[in-house]
This record gives sequence, C-alpha cells and structure tokens, in this order.
Amino acid sequence: MIAAYRHDVHKMNGQPHDYAPETFAGVRVNQTVPHGADGDASALSRPSGQPEQTVENHETLYRLSLIEGESRYDSQAFTRNSVESVVKSLLTEDDPEALHRAWLDSDIVSAFTESVYFPYTSLKYHTLLVAALLDNYRAGHEFDDLRLVADNVEEIVPHRTVYAGEEFALRIDIDARGQPSAPLGSRPWRSWASTWNRLTAHPMDTSHDKYEMVLDANLRRIGAWSTALQYIEDFQEVFDQ
Amino acid sequence: MDYIGHPYYVSGNAILHALGQHLPNDVHQHLHASHGISVPGQFGRFPDEHSQSGVRPYLGSGLPDVGSYDDLFLMRNPTHHWLLDSRPRDALNTHDIRPQSGHPALSHETVMDRSEDAHKQQQTTKWYITAYLHADEPDVLPLGEDLLEGLQFGGKRNYGYGITRLKDTQVVDIDELDYSRLEDGDAYLIEVMTPFVLESEYPSAADQDVPWWWNESRQDLRERVEKILEQREVYRLQTVDHGQVVKYEGDRPVETAKSGIFRVGTHSKYGFGELRVKPVEPRPD
Repeated sequence: MIAAYRHDVHKMNGQPHDYAPETFAGVRVNQTVPHGADGDASALSRPSGQPEQTVENHETLYRLSLIEGESRYDSQAFTRNSVESVVKSLLTEDDPEALHRAWLDSDIVSAFTESVYFPYTSLKYHTLLVAALLDNYRAGHEFDDLRLVADNVEEIVPHRTVYAGEEFALRIDIDARGQPSAPLGSRPWRSWASTWNRLTAHPMDTSHDKYEMVLDANLRRIGAWSTALQYIEDFQEVFDQ
Repeated sequence: MDYIGHPYYVSGNAILHALGQHLPNDVHQHLHASHGISVPGQFGRFPDEHSQSGVRPYLGSGLPDVGSYDDLFLMRNPTHHWLLDSRPRDALNTHDIRPQSGHPALSHETVMDRSEDAHKQQQTTKWYITAYLHADEPDVLPLGEDLLEGLQFGGKRNYGYGITRLKDTQVVDIDELDYSRLEDGDAYLIEVMTPFVLESEYPSAADQDVPWWWNESRQDLRERVEKILEQREVYRLQTVDHGQVVKYEGDRPVETAKSGIFRVGTHSKYGFGELRVKPVEPRPD
C-alpha cells in the first residue's frame, strides 16, 4: 500500500516520471503501482490519449482552484525547504494507515496538480484515489463492484476513505454498510457528476442551506474526480459559514 | 449581471412569473415553462447520439437545429458532456461565486486571465440560460422576441441582479422529430431531468407516488425539498431529486418520451417532472 502514497513524488519536484529518482529522503519513491490502480485513477480525472495543455500559460506543478481561479502557489509558504519537510513526513511514515491519514489531512499536497496539462486536477485526491483502488483490487474486488459511499464524518476506513471533511466523508468500497452509495460503473472515466447524481442521499443540507446547494449544483457539473473532491475541500475552506 | 437565486436552475415558475409582467392574462395562462439550465457559452463537440456531428465554436451560446429527440436534450443536462477536453471543462462549467450580502451570487461570466503577456486579452465565457415553453392552446406560440427581452430572475432585482438579454429562439415541432433511437431498443432508462413532485403543500395538489413505469420504489430514490412561490406564499414540495436514473418498465417508450418533454406530475406547468428516455444499448450502426 505504501507504494501508492509514494508513486507521484516526482510531481512535487517537477521531474518527468522517466527520469525521476528512485529514492527521496531515503525511501523508495516513484515506483509503479500494482494492479493498474494508477492508470484507473488517472482515467477518473483525465481524458485518455496524448494530453494537450488545457490552460494557456500555466505549465506549472501548482494546482488552480475552481473557486478562485488562482494558483495555490505561494512563494512564502512553498519555499523548497518547507515543502520538502512536509512532503518528507508524508512519505517516510512507514505505517500505511498513518500514511493514509496524513494524506487525507494534508493541505500541502492540495497545492499540486496531478498533471501539468490539467491544472484543476489535484495530486492529493489522485493519490487517495490510487490508494483506494489499490486496496480494493488487493482484496479481489473488480472495478465494476465498486461504489462511492457517503459516510458520517467519524467513519474513516483505512485507504478506502478518499475524502474526509468536517461534515461527511467519502469512501470507495464494495460494501456501503447501510450508508448512501452509488455504483462507479463498468469502467473508469470522468464520471464524478454521473456518480454523485446517483447517490441515494446527498450528505449535505440541499433543502435549506444556500451555500450547500451551490456546492451541490456545481458538483453536478464536474467530470474529474480529483477536481471534484478538491472542490469540496476548497469550498468548505472558503465559504465556511 | 450576477444571479442570486436557485442554484440548480431558474425555475419554470420564475420564468412564467417574469413573462407574466409582459403578457396579457389570456395568453399567459396557456403557457407552460421548463426549468432554465445554465450553459457556458463555450466551444463544443456534438455527442454521439446527436443528429449532427463535429466541433462548433461557441456551441453553448446558440441553439443548434433540432432534428431528433436526443437533440432536444443537448443543453438540458448540467454536466454538458459536449464541452471540449482540450479546454478546462470543469472550470468553465462551474459557477463562480461572488457572495453578496450573505447570498452566494452566481457570476454571469467566467474570466480566465492566465496570460503573462499584458497584450493578450482575457478569455471570458458568458453564461446562458436555456429553457423551453409550450402552450395548451394553438396560436399562442411563438411569442414575440420583444416579450422575451430583458427577463429578470432571482433576488435583488431592484439592484439589477439576474437581468438577461435574449440571445436566440427556436420553434420545435415535437411530432416531427426523429424518435427512431427509441423504437428498436430492448431496454430503456428514464433520466429525471428536473425534480418529480411527490407531495405539495399547494392547495388541492394531490400527493403522488413515483410512476408505475419506473422500476424503482420511492424509498430507493434520493429526495429533496423544493418550493414554489405563488401570490407571495411559499409552498413546500417533496420531490424525487433530479439527476437520478431509473429503469423503464413501460412498453411505449416514444409516447413516454413525448410526455416527458411536456413533463409529468404535479406542477409540471412550472418545470417539474421533465424526463428523458434513453435506450440502454446504443443502436449498432
């Protein structure tokens, strides 16, 4: 499982995958993730085929926010040393469950995009999706058995919880355990809105709370999974009532 | 101007209310309005099921010809699958929010200012609202374009919020459309395009269960509370939330498709109960 959290370190220091070093701070990084979990997670957020630059003049590692349209890059917060020390703690932890928790809670990795071509995608949520798929595949589950499950906030399932906020958590699993859920479908594609639309209940107050209704309305308009999960995090941060 | 109102759509009720300011009652009473869906004025590619193909500049800011049943729904699903992958589609298809005295106002345009070169212009994408009217009396439609100009929706209208300009209109004869994609399928799905009303506080509106031709019972569907405003009174509605998909149990998919365009159930005059019928397997060509 640890490989999943360490597979895209090169995206934080700007090295192409082919030339990326195999170690970082003494641990093995940038290794191929087994069971095709990385490719499947990528297909949840990016089109297949040769990528094109989708935003002019933004060929950087830093993510753009759907809310502000601004890069998360902040030269004060992101000096090379500060990033390195935070990233180090996110990678060198060798308890897999603690590693999962650290990624769920990190806002430093939210600053990076999963691909320079698609700057609204999020490296944080791509990595959590890779881990969730890998953990399911290792347990023998096929992609078309999987469901998106809306959990209560305290319910964190190691490796399978892909989003944990102050009001709810989201998990990829085969067993909904009585919680609202929706199937992921037969193959990975940019199916966020389609899946969110099929959830048997939405984990927010869409009857009365205007801001939660706006969040929901926008979530029904987003295809890429890592973009959508990151948008929930950003929205709660900016419009916290 | 930005819009402070229902974030999922401009309700059919709001559209009829706005039209009521310009129309004599003997015309207005015969109109039925769909909900209005926000569409980014962007480039796009016709989806496979559309009767046209290829890429069109600013597909989202016009009304392409409608020849088949599926063409009607090009702009009705807020995911807008026709947006190009070569552009930041999720950023262009989500509303920017500009809080206005505590209300989340939706921006009327999306500005992408990514240029480092000051001579390059900003890229601005305007938002449009698409909606359709039908009438239960002949000769009422089409309305004059002057009656559709300057309609205003949502809150703080005295301050100019929610004002619109007419961009384009189109008349479609539902009986003349090509329904062949629905004629030789083995199985069909129903997509709930706008909420289906189960219960309404409105006087004399009867409660309804989900239609018998949905292969899904009420407890397995997501519900959401809606409301309609009539004569300054707010009436609460309990609805099957839009965006869900159910299996079709009936055996007359074309008739069901036509009634889904005119909408089914309580408050269908005001935009509720719009349905789309989809064949499960695309027809092999």
